[in-house]
Amino acid sequence: MPAKTQSLTLVAKTESLGLATDFVRNGAREANLPEARIHELDLLIEEILVNVSRYSYPVGTPGPVIITYSIPEPGELAVEVCDQGVEFDPLKLDPPDLTLDIERRPVGGLGIWLLKSFAKSLTYRREQGWNRLAFTISANV
Amino acid sequence: MDIERTQVGTKVLLKISGRMDAESSVQLEQQCESCISEGITSLIVDLGDLRYISSMGLRSFVVIAKKFREKGGSLRICRSTGLVQQLFEITRLNQVLNLHDSVESAMLES
Repeated sequence: MPAKTQSLTLVAKTESLGLATDFVRNGAREANLPEARIHELDLLIEEILVNVSRYSYPVGTPGPVIITYSIPEPGELAVEVCDQGVEFDPLKLDPPDLTLDIERRPVGGLGIWLLKSFAKSLTYRREQGWNRLAFTISANV
Repeated sequence: MDIERTQVGTKVLLKISGRMDAESSVQLEQQCESCISEGITSLIVDLGDLRYISSMGLRSFVVIAKKFREKGGSLRICRSTGLVQQLFEITRLNQVLNLHDSVESAMLES
């Protein structure tokens, strides 16, 4: 029997972050994720939402972002974030150069790196005009 | 996010508590701009009560560190812990930012 899914549609702007976090935290509680995983979940949602808010849609005209979660098994939360913005596969980005000193370090550019560092089974697909970024987070690292 | 400011001579200590995310990280940058405009060149940020940081928060620290460096001053960060410390390490910002275990240590060096 497929896991039941919950979905929330928001406007893709940073002001939606609180609602997005509260929503996925419900899923985290249902999946019995420990506190440490919940903080990581907050981080993943923020990094994805900020990216969509800043880059997916034209400036001044934010579009929708749909967050969906399900619990495939106890202790595991599967999350998907979808938007209709410009096609963007974060998995194809080159990693940042973390060896640079403070003078040469660019401002920004760490969000996708953190996403890849903390998300388990991060996947991307482009489907019928939607970017679909999915990850799982597990009680057991 | 709450920021508590204390001035000790020519040094400013900012104690940050709560969460530093896309919405709140700008507050720290604004406080630091104030310090710079007042001529403060030594800033110490106490993260002992900071529970969460995202890439936007890390970005703010890079911006602030660069600005203080340009002015011939310094940013020192102390007491980062948990996920915050983990993020400094994963991004290797712990190697380019001045991190200290205690406020006292940061004060002594600055």
